[in-house]
Amino acid sequence: MALPFSRKQLAWDAVTLLGALIGLAVLLAGTVALGVFLQWQQRRPRRHIPHEVVEPARLGADSLGQTATLLQFSTDLCSRCPGVHRTLSSVADGRDGVRHLDIDVTNRPDIAKHFHILQTPTTLVLDSTGVVQTRFGGVPNRDVLELELNRLTGETANV
Amino acid sequence: MSDRAAASERRSGIDPRGPRFAAGITALLLLVDVFLGLTTPLGATVAERALEPAFLLLVAIAVLFLWSVVSPRTAPWGAVYRFLVQPRLKPPADLEDPRPPRFAQGVGLFVVAIGLVLHLAGVPWALPIAAAAAFVAAFLNAVFGLCLGCQLYLLLQRAGILGRERPAAA
Repeated sequence: MALPFSRKQLAWDAVTLLGALIGLAVLLAGTVALGVFLQWQQRRPRRHIPHEVVEPARLGADSLGQTATLLQFSTDLCSRCPGVHRTLSSVADGRDGVRHLDIDVTNRPDIAKHFHILQTPTTLVLDSTGVVQTRFGGVPNRDVLELELNRLTGETANV
Repeated sequence: MSDRAAASERRSGIDPRGPRFAAGITALLLLVDVFLGLTTPLGATVAERALEPAFLLLVAIAVLFLWSVVSPRTAPWGAVYRFLVQPRLKPPADLEDPRPPRFAQGVGLFVVAIGLVLHLAGVPWALPIAAAAAFVAAFLNAVFGLCLGCQLYLLLQRAGILGRERPAAA
């Protein structure tokens, strides 16, 4: 090779460059799609979850709320748990008979396993008898949460 | 920052936008590194592979991860955020526990270190794949505020690798 850039070398470089750019585009598109999907899944409440009746004593709480309970699961290393804790507390404070329980599962993998918790925060909405009505993985949308509580307390949705 | 500010940070947490700003810069660096890794052919010898730009940049990123794990308060992007960006923004609505972002930096360091070692050992694609994996996590954190590290922490803890197990039937 006398020349520093042969024609073959240039062609190979162009193919490599194009391949790398396509690789980057796929990576970016895939990441954005994953982010949009995860965010959509987190905001969405899930109903009809086959869970048993939650006994407050097992979780170290004395009782459940009169009409509904917001059962939050947190860990030590959870950046969004404190914010969700504040939101749920203020929602519970604004309603009679609604109680907010925040369970730290950092040292309780048994509870995390029992409730199939794969991410924190996870929030369960329990009715007056402790039956799991709705499940939120991640940060629940406050308006959706209020609607869920309206459904449980039998109010019309004009809050 | 003054001692008083440091004390208040310990008490109430950090501005959550700081780690996200840092994650944005990290994501950009990792994307450049993926590009370099995809365009540079794998060197024949260990010395050649160690001098490739993609390897050197990923070493620099790994050092930054390590810095954020060892001393999050002095890490460069956090400092840039506090001195240049934060004064121009409104005060944060919520403060955040500084431990989760620190744990996530450790996860990033782990992933990137695997890529570096495998690359030195001559495994093709190891470096761009590791950089791409770290990029996904950093990008999701910066743009969507999703913390993959937190979820990983919970999975490790459920598997009994982290945290102490205390059975419920006590």
